Amino acid sequence: MTKAFALAAGLLAATALPALAHDEEALRQSPPPAPFIQVSDALPLPEFIPGLGTLFVDPATLPAGPFLAYDRDGNLSATVYMTPLEELANGISYDDLHVGAHNVSSVDIYYNAGHPGVEAPHAHVVLFHDDEARGRLAE
Amino acid sequence: MRTRRHILAAGGGGLATLAMPSLLRAQQVEVIEMRGTPRGERIWYNPIGLAITPGTILHFVNRDPVNSHTATAYHPELFDRPARIPDGAAPWNSDFLLPDESFEVTLEVPGVYDYYCLPHEMAGMVGRIVVSRPSDLGWHGVAQDTDDLPEAALRAFPTVEAILDQSRIDPEETR
Repeated sequence: MTKAFALAAGLLAATALPALAHDEEALRQSPPPAPFIQVSDALPLPEFIPGLGTLFVDPATLPAGPFLAYDRDGNLSATVYMTPLEELANGISYDDLHVGAHNVSSVDIYYNAGHPGVEAPHAHVVLFHDDEARGRLAE
Repeated sequence: MRTRRHILAAGGGGLATLAMPSLLRAQQVEVIEMRGTPRGERIWYNPIGLAITPGTILHFVNRDPVNSHTATAYHPELFDRPARIPDGAAPWNSDFLLPDESFEVTLEVPGVYDYYCLPHEMAGMVGRIVVSRPSDLGWHGVAQDTDDLPEAALRAFPTVEAILDQSRIDPEETR
């Protein structure tokens, strides 16, 4: 039984990995494919937000995301999640969230009082995908 | 891009004022900034409380580079909120202002005007304007109905007495 489970898991991994690699390549440059939309096209927010860059999101995944954060040259630089604090306190969890890229050099977590799209006070969880990403998203 | 949207939040007397030649009435302008920290942990109006004379122009400007804000009067005509501006005063809504965009409104009716930021009311981004003084004819004090307001908003309003005493209250002084 254990052997069968391991085999099934191995097969799943073998089929999933190419798909993940394909997705990562597709998201590397802005704009990402549908269903992602540019946040500033749908909400009254700046096109480039200092600290977060140009954000794209699949509306079906709101509010948590992932939000894909691109620098001014269109390079995917971070994946961002936005989790309302009250929902977390009420027992809602956000599990198995996707990532824009698999390499993560550092993570920032901080409080945000709200903004159009995610009005409730929430946490920003920012996964930077390379060492220079933070600087490129800053301005 | 910079927008300038002018709305006259007054009764019929205000409309008559609008028709007067501008040279006959020099209007005072007060600037209220919409501000926030770089990561959005805190957002506020600066000043959060302001005492003005009737006919003063309020110039709201978004100085927060990472967020958009509104200045929206509490009024049933705007998102079915409770009235927290004087009877006879017209409600106003700036709509969303992106960084460096601005909006102007002129207040004429004496009394207390409470307003809020649409996406940030839950975080306590509210402001209070006091036009004229309680001894003036037609004065409307603070609205008493607080059922529909978030706790953070109710805590943030400076008192009318403090506004009249100091004329202008910066947010740091209230937190």
